[in-house]
Amino acid sequence: MKTRCTTLSAGLLLMAALLSGACLAKDNTRESSLRAAELARFAANVAADGPALEKLLDANLEYSHSNGKLDSRSSFIASLADGSLDYHGMEPDIQSLRIFGDVGVIRGFAKVRVSMRGTTSEFTIGYTDIWLWKDGRWQMTEWRSARMPDAPAK
Amino acid sequence: MRIPRLLPTLFATLMLAPALAAPRGDATSAGAAILARFDAALRGDVGALDNLLADDLDYCTFRGDCQTKAQYLGEVKSGRLKYVAIDPAVSKVKLFDDSAVVTGLANVTAIRDGEEHTIHISWAGVLAWRDDRWQMTTWTSTLLERPAPIKPTK
Repeated sequence: MKTRCTTLSAGLLLMAALLSGACLAKDNTRESSLRAAELARFAANVAADGPALEKLLDANLEYSHSNGKLDSRSSFIASLADGSLDYHGMEPDIQSLRIFGDVGVIRGFAKVRVSMRGTTSEFTIGYTDIWLWKDGRWQMTEWRSARMPDAPAK
Repeated sequence: MRIPRLLPTLFATLMLAPALAAPRGDATSAGAAILARFDAALRGDVGALDNLLADDLDYCTFRGDCQTKAQYLGEVKSGRLKYVAIDPAVSKVKLFDDSAVVTGLANVTAIRDGEEHTIHISWAGVLAWRDDRWQMTTWTSTLLERPAPIKPTK
């Protein structure tokens, strides 16, 4: 009887360990892939890479620029394609990355050099973006940002 | 020999039982939780806010700075931040197993450090289903160029 109980306990512990290990591995993988997706998205913005952005941005994206302009995924990609929005450089500095189930939240700062309708400016933003785990990959669904007051536009 | 054979079933039942028994949040309750948060903020109801905000809240304002739950509640409690009017509207709720992303617009009038300001924002909140209720884990907003098209409630 003692042997059976020991076997039962050991079995339960092993299964619990395997399950929690699998969960931790999944979380770590998702965290790494979310960070990679974030960096890829900034790079795709600068490269005006429409096909890459199609994959990285959710179809229901709401993109609120720091100047208050609202874009959808299609209008954002179109403005990069026609050059009315031209990112010369974006240097992200990720402050925190959190995952709640299938939702990822990243907060950070970014140095931005951008031309909008021919006017070039450089500033630092504080941003929060929200990602969804859909179709086996991270897709950004929300972007909110604000120009930092201690780094005014040059 | 019978007990080990039953182990997987027993373990699966133990793992699934809490999930099956617990009530789950839906899109309607997620939207309601966000609106309740606005209402509690307007009333300066720190007790209600404490219940609606997650302990690990990351509260990022339209200025690009972020606060913890304790910092935000401290501002409301001390009167340093006092809301005069909030007219919010929920635009979308994206629901997942144990999390939700709620977005919308708001026109907000508040007194901060004795000075009254009216702002118009596009906002996003991430909710996590914990302890049988929605708790807001992330708040972020961006200033809009013009007032949000919301019918004032007062």
